[in-house]
Amino acid sequence: MRERLFPGDRVAAYVVLVLLGLVTVLPLLYMIVLALQSDGEVQSGDPVLWPADLQWGNFTRLFEAAPFGRFFVNSFVMAGAITVSHLVFDPLVGYVFAKLDFPGKRIAFVAVLSTLMVPFFVRMLPIYSIFASLGWIDSYQGLIVPFLMDAYGIFLMRQFIRPLPDELIEAARVDGAGEFRIYLRVILPQCKPALAVLGLFTFVFQWNEFLWPLIATSRTEMRTLPIGLTLFNQEYFTQWNLTAAGALILFVPTAIFFVITQKFLVEGIALSGLK
Amino acid sequence: MIRRRQALTAWLFLTPAVLFFALLFFVPIGNQLLTGAYGSDGVSFVGLGNFTRAFADPEVLHSFLITLAYAAGTLVVGTAVGLGLAVILNQSLRGRTLFRSVLLIPYLTSVSIIGLLWRNILDPQVGILNRLLEAVGLPGQTWLSTHPLATIVGITVWSGAGYTMVLFLAGLQGIPGLYYEAARIDGAGPWRRFFAITLPLLAPTTLFVSIIGLISTLQQFALPYIVTGGGPGNATSLYAHRLFIVAFNDNDFGYASALSVLLLIVVLILSLAQLRIGERTDA
Repeated sequence: MRERLFPGDRVAAYVVLVLLGLVTVLPLLYMIVLALQSDGEVQSGDPVLWPADLQWGNFTRLFEAAPFGRFFVNSFVMAGAITVSHLVFDPLVGYVFAKLDFPGKRIAFVAVLSTLMVPFFVRMLPIYSIFASLGWIDSYQGLIVPFLMDAYGIFLMRQFIRPLPDELIEAARVDGAGEFRIYLRVILPQCKPALAVLGLFTFVFQWNEFLWPLIATSRTEMRTLPIGLTLFNQEYFTQWNLTAAGALILFVPTAIFFVITQKFLVEGIALSGLK
Repeated sequence: MIRRRQALTAWLFLTPAVLFFALLFFVPIGNQLLTGAYGSDGVSFVGLGNFTRAFADPEVLHSFLITLAYAAGTLVVGTAVGLGLAVILNQSLRGRTLFRSVLLIPYLTSVSIIGLLWRNILDPQVGILNRLLEAVGLPGQTWLSTHPLATIVGITVWSGAGYTMVLFLAGLQGIPGLYYEAARIDGAGPWRRFFAITLPLLAPTTLFVSIIGLISTLQQFALPYIVTGGGPGNATSLYAHRLFIVAFNDNDFGYASALSVLLLIVVLILSLAQLRIGERTDA
């Protein structure tokens, strides 16, 4: 049963929702307008709600002004590799904690969960020092390795695998299947919906990651898109049209994610508890 | 026999995870505790010197105080907005799913986009917000130079309200409809029902939302870094920004480690409090 406000309040509810919805969406729509303005229009200080002449060329100029193609590739490699790693390891570890029984299980599980309480700032400095001595600054492994797995994903997969019937596993064991084969052939195929959620969220959040790529890279050609965009903006701060064009490119995966998951987005976020 | 084989399998499957968490969580944390005891040269042992230095450092103190102000502002406004949205969207309204999702877009958007977009919108010269205000007869503001911290609070609330709403929606699902029926029979109006039923029964959710909000605001770095660079002066140089400067501008890793250990202690206390509350409300 859902609580209803008084009749007629429905109108008030819609007014509030539409207003807040506009406050949410209009800045992002304005970003599109901004990206298509001419240099004169963005610098004039007069509000331009629709550019006189849509400057699609801004997108190509952007790639000439800074190595945005390379930033894009770097972001894609980083977020892609981390997502693959999560999809390989999070369900495997989640399965072990959900279904196997072994000495040390409780300690191992608590140890993994305890990492949720550690601010990134605490492990960032030592990892930076270690990577610097390994020569991993400005490298793909340097961008990727700190995020290969995480406790959120492991916990999400454990919660998903736990209710699966034990009989499935027992039956496969009686049939003589090896442990890894059981995991791969019996457990993993059941996990597709959870893996989809995990993969999409991991990709979008890593694609947007800011702090670590800022620190772990210093050469222009190793910057990721979020970092390249802010640096580009500092260098050419009057070029708001190009900055907005770059922001739109960065926004593309989020938009795709939104379209794919719109129906179960709220449940997905509540379920995965991603911060 | 089977038990032993299962244990062997389990630890075999866990090997990558053991290596990962050991090398990229526990070794760094231990290292951080040790590094905090060394001076800026990284060689001279100063014991707890970095910690006493932090408590006497006016810049650290300033960053801590404005972080608290930032956290308080974000929590009060963000919780109110998130709760309001959740209550409205918990009704059966047409388009409810779409509204719920749309309000989440900023939360999924890169902080780079959010920071740069708002810097442009708020710019006194080229920004559109002041032009819109002037168009309706209101005075324009120099947002980021006159009210920098409040503006950062506003942008944070804008980007996080959808997430707070999701947490409150989950809390609202847990309130039995029966309570509202009973209250209605007793003649309680909607506001009365909100303050007598919804708000008290949401207390655990509110506490949960506040603690995780506090934990994340204490670590806020990217938004002020992009929007104001910590300025003007150091008006928006939050604790995490101060830590970043100590580490990467001053190259004082020992002191930065001590500052991050202090952050760890505060976050640990808050996380444990959150766990305790979670356990108590589940029981």
